[in-house]
Amino acid sequence: MNPPGSLGVLEEKEEEHLATPILGPSVHSDNPQERIQARRLRIAARLEARRREALGEYLDGKKESEEDQSKSYKQKEESRLKLAKLLLCGTELVTNIQVAADIREIHRRIEEEEIKRQRLEKLENEVKTSQDKFDEITIKWEEGKQRRIPQELWEMLNAQQVHCAGLIEDKNKLISELQQELKMKDDQYVKDLKKQSDDICLLLERMEEQVKNVMKTFRQELQNIEKAFEVERQELLTSNKKKWERALQAHNAKELEYLMNRIKKVEDYEKQLNKQRVWDCEEYNTIKIKLEQDVQILEQQLQQMKATYQLNQEKLEYNFQVLKKRDEESTVIKSQQKRKINRLHDVLNNLRSKYNKQVKQFQEENQSLTLDYKRLVLQFKELQKAMRHFALIDDKQFREIWLMNEEEAKDLINRAFDVDRIINTHHLGLPWMAPNFWFLKNVGPISQRQQKSTTQILEEVLMEAEEEGADQDSSESESYLDLPKQVSARTTRKILMLLCDELMIFHCLKHILILSLFFHSIFPQALGIENEDDLYKLVNFFLKYQTHHSPSSQLAIRSCSYIEAQGPLDLRAEKEGSLVDGKSQEKEPPPSPKLIHPNDVLKILEAFVMGLRKPRDFWVPVKLLKVVRDDSKDSEYWEALTTVIPATTQNLWDALYTALEKYHLVLTQRAELLIENDSLERQNTELQQLLQQYLDTKVGPGAGQDTGHRGRGGRTRGTRGGEAGHWGAGGEAGHWGARGGMILGRWGGQCRGPASAESRDTFSMDDIGE
Amino acid sequence: MQKSPSIPSRSSTSTQDRSSTAGQTSSTSTGPGSGSVVRRMRRIIAEDAEWSLAIVPLLTELCIQHIVKNFQNNPILKQLLPEHQKKVLNHLSPDLPLAVTANLIDDESYWRRCCTQRWPVCHVDNHGGSWKRMFFELHLENLLKHFIPNTTDPAVILNLLPLCRNYVRAIRVDQFLPPVQLPAPPRGGDQSDSGSEGEMEEPAMDHYQLDNLVAGLSHLEELDLVYGVKDCGMNFEWNLFLFTYRDCHSLAATVKACHTLKIFRLTRSKVDDDKARILIRSLLDHPALEELDLSHNLIGDRGARAAAKLLSHSRLRVLNLANNQVRAPGAHSLAHALGHNSNLISLNLRLNCIEDEGGQALAHALHTNKCLTTLHLGGNELSEPTATLLSQVLTINTTLTSINLSCNHIGLDGGKQLLEGMSDNKTLLEFDLRLSDIAQESEYLIGQALCANREAARQRALNPSHLMSPVTAKGPESPVG
Repeated sequence: MNPPGSLGVLEEKEEEHLATPILGPSVHSDNPQERIQARRLRIAARLEARRREALGEYLDGKKESEEDQSKSYKQKEESRLKLAKLLLCGTELVTNIQVAADIREIHRRIEEEEIKRQRLEKLENEVKTSQDKFDEITIKWEEGKQRRIPQELWEMLNAQQVHCAGLIEDKNKLISELQQELKMKDDQYVKDLKKQSDDICLLLERMEEQVKNVMKTFRQELQNIEKAFEVERQELLTSNKKKWERALQAHNAKELEYLMNRIKKVEDYEKQLNKQRVWDCEEYNTIKIKLEQDVQILEQQLQQMKATYQLNQEKLEYNFQVLKKRDEESTVIKSQQKRKINRLHDVLNNLRSKYNKQVKQFQEENQSLTLDYKRLVLQFKELQKAMRHFALIDDKQFREIWLMNEEEAKDLINRAFDVDRIINTHHLGLPWMAPNFWFLKNVGPISQRQQKSTTQILEEVLMEAEEEGADQDSSESESYLDLPKQVSARTTRKILMLLCDELMIFHCLKHILILSLFFHSIFPQALGIENEDDLYKLVNFFLKYQTHHSPSSQLAIRSCSYIEAQGPLDLRAEKEGSLVDGKSQEKEPPPSPKLIHPNDVLKILEAFVMGLRKPRDFWVPVKLLKVVRDDSKDSEYWEALTTVIPATTQNLWDALYTALEKYHLVLTQRAELLIENDSLERQNTELQQLLQQYLDTKVGPGAGQDTGHRGRGGRTRGTRGGEAGHWGAGGEAGHWGARGGMILGRWGGQCRGPASAESRDTFSMDDIGE
Repeated sequence: MQKSPSIPSRSSTSTQDRSSTAGQTSSTSTGPGSGSVVRRMRRIIAEDAEWSLAIVPLLTELCIQHIVKNFQNNPILKQLLPEHQKKVLNHLSPDLPLAVTANLIDDESYWRRCCTQRWPVCHVDNHGGSWKRMFFELHLENLLKHFIPNTTDPAVILNLLPLCRNYVRAIRVDQFLPPVQLPAPPRGGDQSDSGSEGEMEEPAMDHYQLDNLVAGLSHLEELDLVYGVKDCGMNFEWNLFLFTYRDCHSLAATVKACHTLKIFRLTRSKVDDDKARILIRSLLDHPALEELDLSHNLIGDRGARAAAKLLSHSRLRVLNLANNQVRAPGAHSLAHALGHNSNLISLNLRLNCIEDEGGQALAHALHTNKCLTTLHLGGNELSEPTATLLSQVLTINTTLTSINLSCNHIGLDGGKQLLEGMSDNKTLLEFDLRLSDIAQESEYLIGQALCANREAARQRALNPSHLMSPVTAKGPESPVG
């Protein structure tokens, strides 16, 4: 689609180019037209070719817009070219003046140069000629100097003057020439100035003209362009209007057609409607009559129906009443039944809950009881253990107390014997024989009590086992290893039973005894089994060993139980105290060979012994248990101890005591008297002294006072001495005091001797008593 | 709900309006009989016939007025709100001292008022579109133009320096007054007598030294100077147009010190070879210079050689040596430099005299140059040999867009050769051959070729954005025309 369009545009352009030179103002309008035309065509063609090359597809792109607004575009192009030409020509016109001035200047310069050169030549010539002349003149001056004759000189001077004048004239001529030239130049300058001002005026004029021209043409072109646009717009408007009108007309025609059609249709419909209406009216009437008839019939029927309805209503009402009553009754009954059911349900629920509660309660009770029971059993075991322990300690304590009391009693007895001996030897003067009783030699408790025998333990265990048997059966498998004691108890019981059977059947008592002895000899000493704990341990060990080593555990248990049983048996046999040879025992086969192999037994025992010795100290004090101590002999013993001193000697001692008491009394009296005697003696001496003084001083009442005073002082001393002071105390009268003193002095002197002996006796008695 | 508040409000406004109008018109106006108490009260207050709400200005207005009035003594601007700033600036007088306004006000409209007040014609486009910059540049230019050395106080200019240093980017001065030698007002009569003494007072003829000023201007980019006097009228005297060596040295030093300078123009100042060499030596390896214009001077071959050296020692883009006295040797050296240059875009040798020898050299140089776009060789006495060489250049070169060979003697054959060269060229847009003795036919054909080239160039410019409308696309073409 592009190529034809572009071609068309190009053709148009060609036309433009052909047209524009004619339209624009041309400088060379005077040229012959045909020639120009021909060349123009050629150049335009060439230009077009060039432009096509230069523009390329640009024109293609531009083409559409050119086609659209070709008229305005043409006008614009035209105007543009025209204006460009105008501007170019205008500037050329304006600058022409400058160029003209330039060329004039150049010409002037050339002329000037030429003139200058001529002038210089002329001047040089002139200079040369004038120089020659001047030289001539100067030479002549020299000549003139030689001239002596005034006329000659005058002549010469005149000639010189003439020459000089000629020279000056020449110069002046030259000067005037030059001045003339200068004047001419001045004129020329003025002329040039004028010319230049004219030029400038012309230039200005042209410039103004050009400006005006340009403005005018610009305006004109603008108008043209606007006009072109206007025309184009008008054309466009008219064409659009035409189109619009055509469309409108078509639209109107169509509208009219539609309207006619519509009117026709409306008429048709109206006719149809009328016809329909008439037909409908007739139909309506007939239907109406028919329906009225129907209505009458139906009304009759309605009346009938109403009557029957009335009847039925009454009937039904009666029935309804009856049914209502029945219904009420049934509801009452139903409610009663329901209440009953509810009550029973309540009861049932209560009972159920009660039952559940009880079941739970009993279960709890059962559990608690079993727990209690277990706990009690444990406690009991503990208690037993404690009891054993306490029994041991009690025993020890008893023994210690016994020993202490015995020692005390013996001490007392010894003292009594000593006293008796002293009494006998010293007081009675009889030979004393130390009594000899059996109990005096006894030390410690009477050796009637014994160690608890293994038999007894066995019995005890048996009792326990019997008690616990029922419970243990159930929990045997579980507590087999945990409760070795019980297991052992059970097994021992079984063993015992078995042993009894076997005793009856297989073996004689002797065999058993031997066996038991053998075990007895081995167990306590060799195996270090000293108490029941070890026994239990052994059993446990056997059980373990068997479970580990022997293939049949059942047999192991049995075998070990056998071995275990034999332990207690031999202990029991110990009571008999019979001793049998060890070699014969070895040969004896074990009581149940099928149960356990003898080699195994030996191995087990060996292992047990090895294990037992390690952890345990070798020596452990033998712990024995007393069953019931026989204290019948104790009282006897102690009674005997009390009656070491016989009643006869006691009676003797009583009598002796009373006699000694009496003797002691006498002795004390004597001692008192002696003291009194001493005090009286002293008073006596004092009184003597006083009397002496009295006699010397001869002062009556004063002396009496003085003695009283002294007497008081004596009393104070007298209180020390005992009762004698009493006497002094009351002695206000010196006489009494002196007399009393004298008496005492006498008494004291008399009984001094026996009192000292007595006091010696009492001392000895005291010694004895103590 | 919506109705009830709206009705009273409308009524209240109406009453207000009525009352205000009543107050304005007359105090004894007989209002309608149903007038309320409020209205009567108002009427009593509005006894003053001149009373009006409009008379009472806002406090902000008063403040702004005050600020405007006292702006010279107490300039308050930056602290204000933007709309108030605008008001203040609109009311400020353009006669305020520059010391106050220069660094405070950036508003363009204010500076626009200043400019339009001072100068009847203002081309703000010549000053980068900034009115402030324009104001300062013109102000400075004015001062420089009327500065008379030894008479005017140099502080006048130097005092302005701190105010304008941030705004001036170009100095364009087309006259520098010489120092006044005689206080006598009849200047002309005296000077003709003292013409012989001029040489003795040569050092006194120095113009204003720009070094201090240029050193102070931190953004200076353009320096356009003419050492001469304008409007001297009948007081003309050669001394007035004397660019002294001292001037030249100081200017060279100034230009060398100014590292921001991009454009340097020194025209119509009688710069001869020596002065040109002094100036160009100072411009060697200048960091920023892009355009050098020494047109309308007296530069000869030595000066041209110096310029050629400058071409290879700077980043010069535009060189203008129009209307000088460059001849074939100078053109040779320029051509040599041009052959290896890659910066220069435009070379103008109008109204010189390089002749065929120089033209051929330049044409040879253009075989290798890939940068030059504009070449002006108008009025250079060129003829056919140059044209043949140039036609060869035209077939090869793809950068040249504009060549000017006007006012030469190229001749008919030369024209034909140029036409041949032109037929293979697709880049040249301008080729001025007026008054160069070419046949009209070939000139016309060359014109057609140029037309085609222009069209192609337009399409090229249009092509990257072909959606642009053709009207705007005319833009690039109009300057060409």
